Amino acid sequence: MKILIADDDAISRRLLEKTLLRAGYDVVAVQNGLAAAEQLCKEDGPRLALLDWEMPELDGPAVCREVRKKKDQGYVYMILLTSKGLKTDIVTGLGSGADDYLTKPFDSGELKARLRTGQRILHLEGRLVEARENMRFKATHDSLTSLFNRGVIVELLGREISRSRRERVPTAILLCDIDHFKSINDSHGHLTGDEVLQEAARRLLLSVRSYDYLGRYGGEEFLIILNNCDPASTPRRAEEIRKALSDNPVETSIGPLLVTMSMGVHQTENWGLRTVEELLHEVDSAMYAAKAAGRNRISFTNLNISPGARNVVPTEAEQSLR
Amino acid sequence: MNVATPSVLNITELLSRVDNDRELVSELFSIFKSVFPSHLQRLSDAVANELPRQVEVESHTLKGMLLNLSAARAAAMAELLENMGHDGKIAGMGQALTEFQREGETLLLQMESVEFQQ
Repeated sequence: MKILIADDDAISRRLLEKTLLRAGYDVVAVQNGLAAAEQLCKEDGPRLALLDWEMPELDGPAVCREVRKKKDQGYVYMILLTSKGLKTDIVTGLGSGADDYLTKPFDSGELKARLRTGQRILHLEGRLVEARENMRFKATHDSLTSLFNRGVIVELLGREISRSRRERVPTAILLCDIDHFKSINDSHGHLTGDEVLQEAARRLLLSVRSYDYLGRYGGEEFLIILNNCDPASTPRRAEEIRKALSDNPVETSIGPLLVTMSMGVHQTENWGLRTVEELLHEVDSAMYAAKAAGRNRISFTNLNISPGARNVVPTEAEQSLR
Repeated sequence: MNVATPSVLNITELLSRVDNDRELVSELFSIFKSVFPSHLQRLSDAVANELPRQVEVESHTLKGMLLNLSAARAAAMAELLENMGHDGKIAGMGQALTEFQREGETLLLQMESVEFQQ
């Protein structure tokens, strides 16, 4: 573990450095408080620190105060080293944000024991952060597919539409619905249905760019937001996404299943005064138009041409028959 | 009542604090020998110029070094100067400095002899 030693006294610095290197720490040593604060405020800086009380530039308590101002970084466990022994000094030191103090000359056994206490605190903090991140993930992601859940993807849609309006850049909304999903569940069971949803999510994720958004909108519905999507290339992008699912059967525990989806697409940079709910309603209607036209196809609605108008695009197979 | 006088340099205590690392002790002595004269000079200047805050700061630094080296007697003398500086007590500072300088010389000699034994 990386540890910072800040001490202007060369003897104390060397003594600490040697003791800590021997104990297996990765030591960073500096001679003044300013350099210590810089090191500790770095994103990948040491999380454990031994700070001398009296130092040039910034003293130990001032370093503690500087570090504690940074609320967005991981916790730094700081021990003040002091030859001051008065209770008032100790109170001042701990009040500045230090976690512990050690009186000079230090005993190496005591020093190592106090550092182990610090490591325990940091380990505990790491576990708490991990638990918080897990909870945050669970609150924002769908448990089956690990995609964004409905609440998050709709919120992202609202943000993207605002950005699109503000910057006058086109954005495309794609609502995808797996065809005949109910019959997959009814014929093969819900576990197979879940496998289909998971594989569909995986393929959709692979077919969008890293800065596009994808979420599970409902049972077998997925919502995709293509940011800055060139209007001329949207039909091609939508077709690639549709084919990502339909081109190859989905391998399930009961064998391969051919799965397709219908898609409603809406694209513009001119959103008018429509709300997110109204836009979702439009794209939902387009998706149902694709279903009504025979499924496994894409239906476009474009407010720039005529609000509510739809063009149902036949599949490539159908096009080849014409 | 017999009150034990602190020794100039308690090598046994120092070795026990550094896990008997004689090489490190030797290195620490070298560092001390190289930095002590400049600290002492700054302390002498501060006393001569009657700058109590400077006296306090320099004495504090020297006290820390000396405690780390288990030089308890010199550390106690540095602490006395530190306290005088803290309290702004100019009277007696010169005398305290002279005694500290004498102790410093004794300490350096003792360090030489310890190094020689190693």
